[in-house]
Amino acid sequence: MHPDSLNATFSALADPTRRAVLARLMSGEASVTELAKPHDMSLPAFSKHLKVLERAGLITRSREAQWRPCRLAPAPLKNATDWLNQYRRFWEASFDRMDAYLQELQEAEKKEPSDEC
Amino acid sequence: MSVEDTAAASHELTITRIFDAPRDLVFEMWSDSAHMKNWFGPTGMTILDAGTDFRVGGKWFSHLRTESGGEHKMGGVYREIVVLERIVFTHIWEGTDAHSGFETIVTVTLKDLGGKTELVFHQAAFETASASDSHEDGWNKCLDRLAAALAKI
Repeated sequence: MHPDSLNATFSALADPTRRAVLARLMSGEASVTELAKPHDMSLPAFSKHLKVLERAGLITRSREAQWRPCRLAPAPLKNATDWLNQYRRFWEASFDRMDAYLQELQEAEKKEPSDEC
Repeated sequence: MSVEDTAAASHELTITRIFDAPRDLVFEMWSDSAHMKNWFGPTGMTILDAGTDFRVGGKWFSHLRTESGGEHKMGGVYREIVVLERIVFTHIWEGTDAHSGFETIVTVTLKDLGGKTELVFHQAAFETASASDSHEDGWNKCLDRLAAALAKI
């Protein structure tokens, strides 16, 4: 997975309007007009958001039907999810190590009380 | 699809752990180079070196070697430090592998539980939108459906 692709995915997800569009597309394809309806912005402004999503590969637009419906393309989202799960495993295993180290440190302290005692 | 996967689909990672150690000691795990060298990397990997210049704007790093001999260096810069309570820093992999060059933001929050310490680790690919964001709720409600969609891939 190239970092540029992840960058594109996460940059696209960073905007609430774009997340709302993806959320809407999870329940099926929709036209640009339908997608734009709940959003209080001009159609050109809204189209810019769609272009970002399209460039990030998060949505595709059908060329078959005249109304060119937008569809969710979940592969980049899955890559982002896999990437975050790798991090989860990485940190969980690091915290296991921290836990063991903390126990070692505290055991050592008990065994070797300071000279002041 | 697991709860963790669903959470991850929201583009951020949160891990909560309770350590059987006082908060000042857990804080030192993050703020003291000598301690970092003993844990800052997963079990199974060798920590070749690790260290911190613990101040806002200062850098941290950890240099790791995997069981198969591959070497990886991660690091970042501190953005915010509240002694004993909160540390915010950037995280980036150095090098040429798939994840290098992609910066994330980590927030570590420590809570004193009277001898034990709760650590909340949060890592996000970007600054999270404010909670007052009206679209956010709709997005969160849709995560289950997203999880189902992802499971089919």
